[in-house]
Amino acid sequence: MKDFAYVRPKNLVEALSFLHEYGHDTKIIAGGTDVVVDLRAGVIKPEYLLDVSRLAELKGIQLRSDGLWVGAGVTLSEIFSSEVLECHAPALKKCAATFASKQIRNVATIGGNVAHCSPCADTIPPLVIHDADVVLASINGIRQLPLEHVVSGPYTCALPDQEIIMGFILKPAAVTHADFQKIGRRKALATARISMSYMARKDFRGKISFFRFSLGACTPTPRQWPMVEELLAGKVPTENLIWKAARLLSEKMIEITGRRSSTVYKEPAIQGLFVKMLYPMV
Amino acid sequence: MDKAYRTIGKSILRTDAVDKVKGLAAFSADIDLSSPPLVLKVFRSGIPHAKIIKIHTEKALAIEGVLRVFTAKDIPGKNLLGIINKDQPLLAADKVRSAADAVALVAAETEEAALKALDAISVEYEKLPAVFSPEDAMAADAPLIHPKGNQLAARFVKKGDVEAIFQQCASVIERTYRTSMVEHNYLEPDAGIGYLDVDGTLVIYASTQNPHYDHKEIVTLLGVPDDKVRIIQATTGGGFGSKLDLNTQGFIGLALYHLKRAVRCVYTREEAYLATAKRHPLTIHMKTGADATGRLRALRAKIICDTGAYGSYGIAVMSRAAVHATGPYAFEAIDVESLCIYTNNPFCGAMRGFGTPQIAFAHESQIDLHAEDLKIDPLQIRLLNALRPGSETATGQVLTHSVGISQCIEAIRPYYESAISQWATAEHHPYKKRGIGVGAMWYGIGNTGVQNPSTARVEMDLSGAVTLYTGCADIGQGSTTILTQILAETLGLSPEQINVVAADTQFTTNAGATSASRQTYISGNAVKDAADKLSDVLRTEAVNKLRVSKKSLVFADGCVAVATNHEKCVDLASLAKRIHAKGAPLVWQGYFDPETVPLSPTDGQGIPYGTYAFACQMAQVVVDVLTGEITVERIVAAHDVGKAIHPENVKGQICGGTAMGIGFALMEEFKPGETKSMKDYVLPTSMDMPEVIPIIIESHEPSGPFGAKGVGEPALIPTAPAILNAISRALNQRIYTLPANLERVLDASIQSGHFAGRKK
Amino acid sequence: MDQHRVTITFTLNGKSVTMDVPGAMNALTLIRERLKLKGTKEGCGIGECGACTILVEGRAVNACLMLAAQLDGRDVQTVEGLAHEEGLSLLQESFVKHHAVQCGFCTPGLLMSAKALLAENPCPDKAAIAQAISGNICRCTGYQQIFDSIRHATGAPTGEEKT
Repeated sequence: MKDFAYVRPKNLVEALSFLHEYGHDTKIIAGGTDVVVDLRAGVIKPEYLLDVSRLAELKGIQLRSDGLWVGAGVTLSEIFSSEVLECHAPALKKCAATFASKQIRNVATIGGNVAHCSPCADTIPPLVIHDADVVLASINGIRQLPLEHVVSGPYTCALPDQEIIMGFILKPAAVTHADFQKIGRRKALATARISMSYMARKDFRGKISFFRFSLGACTPTPRQWPMVEELLAGKVPTENLIWKAARLLSEKMIEITGRRSSTVYKEPAIQGLFVKMLYPMV
Repeated sequence: MDKAYRTIGKSILRTDAVDKVKGLAAFSADIDLSSPPLVLKVFRSGIPHAKIIKIHTEKALAIEGVLRVFTAKDIPGKNLLGIINKDQPLLAADKVRSAADAVALVAAETEEAALKALDAISVEYEKLPAVFSPEDAMAADAPLIHPKGNQLAARFVKKGDVEAIFQQCASVIERTYRTSMVEHNYLEPDAGIGYLDVDGTLVIYASTQNPHYDHKEIVTLLGVPDDKVRIIQATTGGGFGSKLDLNTQGFIGLALYHLKRAVRCVYTREEAYLATAKRHPLTIHMKTGADATGRLRALRAKIICDTGAYGSYGIAVMSRAAVHATGPYAFEAIDVESLCIYTNNPFCGAMRGFGTPQIAFAHESQIDLHAEDLKIDPLQIRLLNALRPGSETATGQVLTHSVGISQCIEAIRPYYESAISQWATAEHHPYKKRGIGVGAMWYGIGNTGVQNPSTARVEMDLSGAVTLYTGCADIGQGSTTILTQILAETLGLSPEQINVVAADTQFTTNAGATSASRQTYISGNAVKDAADKLSDVLRTEAVNKLRVSKKSLVFADGCVAVATNHEKCVDLASLAKRIHAKGAPLVWQGYFDPETVPLSPTDGQGIPYGTYAFACQMAQVVVDVLTGEITVERIVAAHDVGKAIHPENVKGQICGGTAMGIGFALMEEFKPGETKSMKDYVLPTSMDMPEVIPIIIESHEPSGPFGAKGVGEPALIPTAPAILNAISRALNQRIYTLPANLERVLDASIQSGHFAGRKK
Repeated sequence: MDQHRVTITFTLNGKSVTMDVPGAMNALTLIRERLKLKGTKEGCGIGECGACTILVEGRAVNACLMLAAQLDGRDVQTVEGLAHEEGLSLLQESFVKHHAVQCGFCTPGLLMSAKALLAENPCPDKAAIAQAISGNICRCTGYQQIFDSIRHATGAPTGEEKT
């Protein structure tokens, strides 16, 4: 590992002042489960490492007037044991269950998972279905951006060096169905080959009155899938209908990525995982 | 029978477990010396095939803290390694044959300086065309990787007229199977540390499976007398075959020889991935014929082993795959050709099973295909064809004893029948399919058709205390505990009363490699031989004291006693003193080499092994037809080990082997150039493990110590075939290439119409 | 202030430790090379094997992925802290007794993960154990005897007693 200076600010203001001055040469570290790996591999060579893992301003999970707040410094273990999320963002909670390993969940944060911008990041599909906004802070103040604007490319974060992710504002939703599913090459410590998340509400007639869906590990950046959502909206979910939506989804995915060697698997597997995930609605 | 034994058949506490749970067992990277050792780092080629024009080390040498950069010309002895064929230089001299080839060795005061030096070394190459598959390597115009050609060796096993019999067979099946390159991924990355003793001896502690081989190689490499090198096996964190090659030991020896200062070499996981042996990927074309009743009659196979850039144990893998191609079944006619081919891939060497896990995938798929073809139950067809005492194997060996395959199959039967009647038919998710599969195997204990003796020394001092000196490297499987039990039993002592000196070339004689599941059988016999000799002098001496015939004397609680009256006894210390006073020896050397007959080079006829282990496993597998995910719910594993000297150790081997078998079946694939760290290589976690039910079958082997054979490798072999047969039963579609990963299983699901069709 | 070196104070196996560490040093190097506690192992260096598992504030973490400086103010436990003067802890004894140890390289990390689990869930079932140790790769045992050991360390009845 290249030598660097370690800085641990006492509070957010101190962190932002530091970033204001040295942001260009600084890498922010929280759980370190991606950053330390990259440091070891020499992928990143910062002058300063700014440790935000203890900033109180980045903590907490609360239902607030503007939405459901999840601090960037919240660990995956905290997400998994959160009763607020169980109630208001169950798919996010579920993704924490199969996230890497216990050791990693204990320190890895949701902010770090998003900022790393891996196309396989497990927290992103659940955040997308909740229309999550990213709350950003710099010495100039606070602003909010949709998640899709922050994750601008594979392992590329659109944020300026002076800015820090404080947390996420999710739209809480009262739904009857929600899930997160992923396909990995083994049952733990697995990188998502495909992940997906949805939440939905069935009305008293059995029709889908609300449906949000997101796909992970297939496209370079997170995105919305309005066509799939529109296809299902207002309809009674049948096995046929779900298969139809599944095929539409894989078509649209291929429109984005083109056909690659991995498409041989991903095309049917996306359909399969979608059907498997939505089957409980039938 | 067991009641007669004091310690054999008892799961005593392992000799090493307490230190290990305290974190005090010293692995090579943990050993501290009085002053910090120099750090060794290896510069590797990075390109698969090239002539070396010039190696530039000046810049590296200029870095502060860098003491030396060694290249091939610094090697004083013979720069050529290999346990079977010598073809691998420690440091490449004129050319490199794989991207992992070591070209230079840096010795520095600190890790940082050593790493900087690696960056500062440059090599001028003349690139050569490279080949990455045996097919390309065998082409007429293929570049030569080694001067004698790209075919390293061939093994033929022939008996009877295969073609004539195929003509008479009701069922003839011909298929091609492929297996992946596999990484051993023992948990402890290779490491070693060395220092110069006061008398100038090069002392090397290493993570190794074969200290005496390391010794021989280093002595030759450095051109020094035998007594100037001492290898001591440090606590070793698994090996599975890969620590049979010289990994860090040679580098440590070379640096010690020149610098005369303590040095340490610790591979990162990434380097262990890059630089150490892998499991040979095999391509197996197999044709088998059976009569209408399901009796197997003829087998033809062509086996191609990709050994990568160097031979290592490749010839052993090639031979063993050929010899085991029939599986544990009797055939009338056999025609097997097995080739070992050089390519520019990472070199492949020994890995748990030496080609048998690969060939078992083929023979177990074939027998299931015959069962399907002839509508015979998979268990029944195996039982029908199982070897038994009196059967003749492919190499013409007539088996006389300890052929427990039928018992293994029968032991599976109750689980198999209840799984079929209850588990398979139970209500389950419409998009999940259940399958039950069976896999069987046989495995020859010890090396194939060559001498592979073991020795041991047993010493009693005048206080009656007993010390065992064995060259056998316990790499975690528990051999030290087993050998102690064998000695303790013979002398009527408790295992904890025995002192052990193991795997130190200065104090122990050669026990051969910890490989080929041979240590319990071969080293166990060597220990027993030495113990029997000591026992004989003790009892002879006791006759004088107790005045009864020698055959009426037994060992009991540190004494020799009259069998019918233990009160009449004499303690070992008195006996030792009396024996010593007479000048008779209290130190005895034991020796055992299984009786084998070398295989004929033309038809492979001979006696390759002294005995065979047998096993049958059953897998219950759930296939997600929508995603290709597999859940193995249960493995029932029946293993004929002759005699379980330590039942819990045997179970540990079975469960561990099963885990490795699950990896081999479903997920493990090392891709040269792509698989760089443990992020890129998936192997089973605790969540991937099914319930494993180990069943120990004991078919007494008369030539084994207390009837024992071996289990280390057999544990792994039937698992992948059982799982693959289960997948095939679940989907009605067979997979012929390992691993049966997400892609291959989903493809099979689509091919079989389960994916969208919701076939019930 | 030279931030390339950081002064940290933390509790290690019950004793307070204060030292200067390089900012770029990870916790594993600190524990192994500076504090000379060699029970914590490096198996992969990237959080994929769990051999370096330690407890920080009672929670299992990979020491290879944590910076030494991040231990400041924390309570840290390593395998060396498990045994007491009278002897092995229940968990260690159970690992020995139920033959959960083969090569032993993964053992310290597994013990730490198991300890964290039992603190959270004193009577875990097999599924909970498998989940809790899924970040600890063992290549030797197939995990079965490890499951048994952890279950027995809870004092919960688990059927036949093995000898």
